[in-house]
Amino acid sequence: MASVLWFQAGACSGNTMSFLNAEEPNVVDLIVDFGLDLLWHPSLGLELGENAKKIFTDCAEGRRNLDIFVLEGTVIQAPDKSGRYDMFADRPMIDWINELAAAAQIVVAIGDCACWGGIPAMEPNPSDSTGLQFHKRERGGFLGPDWRSRSSLPVINIPGCPAHPDWITQILVALATGRAGDIALDDLHRPQTFFKTFTQTGCTRVQFFEYKQSTTSFGEGTRSGCLFYEYGCRGPMTHSPCNRILWNRQSSKTRAGMPCTGCTEPEFPFFDLAPGTVFKTQKVAGTIPKEIPEGADHLSYMAHAAAARIAAPQWSKEDMFVV
Amino acid sequence: MTALDLFVSPLGRVEGDLDVRVTIEDGVVTSAWTEAAMFRGFEIILKGKDPQAGLIVTPRICGICGGSHLYKACYALDTAWKTHVPPNGTLIRNIAQACETLQSIPRYFYALFAIDLVNKNYAHSPLYDEAVRRFAPYVGTSYQTGVVLSAKPVEVYAIFGGQWPHSSFMVPGGVMCGPNLADVTRSTAILDHWKNHWLEKQWLGCSIERWMEIKTWADMQEWVEENESQYNSDCGFFIRYALDIGLHEYGGGCGNYIASGTYFEPSLYENPTIEARNGALIGRSGVYADGRWHDFDHMRIAEDVSHSYFTGTRRLHPWEGETDPIDPQIGRGSGKYSWAKSPRYDVPGSGHMPLEAGPLARRVAAGAPAGAAHQDHDPLFVDMLDKLGPSVFVRQMARLHEAPKYFQWTKQWLSQLYLHDSFYTKPEELESGKGFGATEAARGALLDWIVLEDGKIENYQVITPTAWNIGPRDSDGTPGPIEQALVGTPIADVDDPVELGHVARSFDSCLVCTVHAYDGKSGRELSTFVVNGMV
Repeated sequence: MASVLWFQAGACSGNTMSFLNAEEPNVVDLIVDFGLDLLWHPSLGLELGENAKKIFTDCAEGRRNLDIFVLEGTVIQAPDKSGRYDMFADRPMIDWINELAAAAQIVVAIGDCACWGGIPAMEPNPSDSTGLQFHKRERGGFLGPDWRSRSSLPVINIPGCPAHPDWITQILVALATGRAGDIALDDLHRPQTFFKTFTQTGCTRVQFFEYKQSTTSFGEGTRSGCLFYEYGCRGPMTHSPCNRILWNRQSSKTRAGMPCTGCTEPEFPFFDLAPGTVFKTQKVAGTIPKEIPEGADHLSYMAHAAAARIAAPQWSKEDMFVV
Repeated sequence: MTALDLFVSPLGRVEGDLDVRVTIEDGVVTSAWTEAAMFRGFEIILKGKDPQAGLIVTPRICGICGGSHLYKACYALDTAWKTHVPPNGTLIRNIAQACETLQSIPRYFYALFAIDLVNKNYAHSPLYDEAVRRFAPYVGTSYQTGVVLSAKPVEVYAIFGGQWPHSSFMVPGGVMCGPNLADVTRSTAILDHWKNHWLEKQWLGCSIERWMEIKTWADMQEWVEENESQYNSDCGFFIRYALDIGLHEYGGGCGNYIASGTYFEPSLYENPTIEARNGALIGRSGVYADGRWHDFDHMRIAEDVSHSYFTGTRRLHPWEGETDPIDPQIGRGSGKYSWAKSPRYDVPGSGHMPLEAGPLARRVAAGAPAGAAHQDHDPLFVDMLDKLGPSVFVRQMARLHEAPKYFQWTKQWLSQLYLHDSFYTKPEELESGKGFGATEAARGALLDWIVLEDGKIENYQVITPTAWNIGPRDSDGTPGPIEQALVGTPIADVDDPVELGHVARSFDSCLVCTVHAYDGKSGRELSTFVVNGMV
């Protein structure tokens, strides 16, 4: 049985809400069937009073075994690295994080905020927020680049804003069932099994991408076309399984007509949401996408695009997702 | 007389953690201070950004009400850009907003509120064993179904918005999706599944239609006794148990209410303006203070920071609002104690007052006289307040009453979609302007004010339901709604003050609470509690 302690720092609770949408296993299965020993969670914890506080200090001081410490939310360091902008149980939250991360066998960052700072850390970062082991793409974050948990692992990052419930539950089940060794991490400490693929992998618009046919407007306009050319979709440049493991068992943003905002990557929100960048593809010379699919170069991209447009069949210029 | 100071840290999570300090004399709370303990600075982040940045940023203020944040952020832009929203766009927004709330009602009730009903404090109740059987966390027979099935309504959100939480699919001029036939039929089937397996079967023990016949407190009591199915449903049981353990006897609060209203009649809001807003609402807006109803007017709202960790000396309307943080350690020296600002409403004839936001406020607004044919008119909770007064129990029933009501509305909106019509009109992106958008998150009035200049955000201010409810004292020293609601709460066991949790959680303010009890005279710490709770 693996013990888990879940804290929220500079958090919106979105990852917890996402987690509660899980099925196979759902949150009840995780605890009742998989025997996950959830020592405490801000929304689900059972213990009241003295018992709960005792759990935190017992874990921090090594009197109680803590297998997995989960953090949701940014590490808030303001003002002047004192952490006083986020007090928890009478202390700056950063003090709890320091002690519990040191005590745990494995530390898991859930959601962009805990991974790399997320939206609160965007310019001008008024709360001096950062992630556990990254600040945006830069290694370090709160714990430092060389930090390792008691089981010699770096912080396991499960990014996304929020993270998909399956990414959370399957990793927790893997850790709880002794499969930590199967979790291969990429250079951003993300489990490769989820983050090797692109958001575009499995997107229903991929045929339109193949023939370079753009969606022409939101609403009924999204019954056709790809969102990459005009609407700033980051699906080809973003690593996630959003179109392999659907959201709420139903859909994904790109399937529903919303451009991918790249929320599993450290740069999210991209361009710091500067004027002119929201839901609009950034272009060179007014027509060529500034960013092109990972690994491609502009010259071959343009040659490929020109040929694809010539090859485009009539159906690729018509509505496909019709009433 | 025995006096105790209890320091509750933290007790909140929507805009961060909340601490609560209460003084208890002779077993009853005599004064309370609510202290929001975490600051991220979203309003500062939004300044200078793309006009549409609020569609991405504000849902991340709170992942519990993210869809509500998106909804009102979108209307703030619609009014600033003077957009046209086709009826289908309005309907999809209504459906999505309602599905978030339908998700929240059971998730909140079972996972966050009802687990306290099995507290040993109530072991003396003849209904206690049954409460444990139903509501015990994870293993309770009702807990499992209620919590797991709460994920169903947001599947409908995902069909139209791609995912829940944190989509940004509502945009000025409509919505991003162009749903097809199966999207609508599947949504209908998912909602019916939720109704058949939870709402009617487990919660009500009767049809939605039968429940909606209830117009008075007497009707509700008759409903409980009408048959075994209703008597033994979770709702019937909760009513009996709540009255047995006295949840109708405390937690009343200020007795004055604000609803900014939500859901629009599509034909009346094709060109969203601030002026036409009240009339186009289905879920009505309104302010009820000192026994009188008033029309809602956003210009009468102002935020006070006299006890909040911000600079500033006077109340400001949010269009002029400022967010300039100061170190809490320094702020404490001048009597400041919270990261929440204190929203106040200038009630005609009475001046600036704190008002309670949330389902009870919406039910009071729905009980106001007049109201157009398309608007919610429902006298039930005006009668409940008249007969019982406000309390933890009445606030809970107001929230739960909305499950069948919003379910019916959502089904209606789905049936009104004309799939071959438009869902979006491309707006002109005006360089400058002012906008206001609002909604009712599950937990109350949620409002955005935006000022655009030179194609970017010059000012962005948000007032959340939690700020309405947990905001600290104002410059007149008047406590906020939860501060007032905590006063008078009886505490049976200071080592386990579950009653404080009931009151705080009845506002659904997303609270995690650690309670530190201090002896009021010596300052010695007696006990520390986590009154665990509301997300």
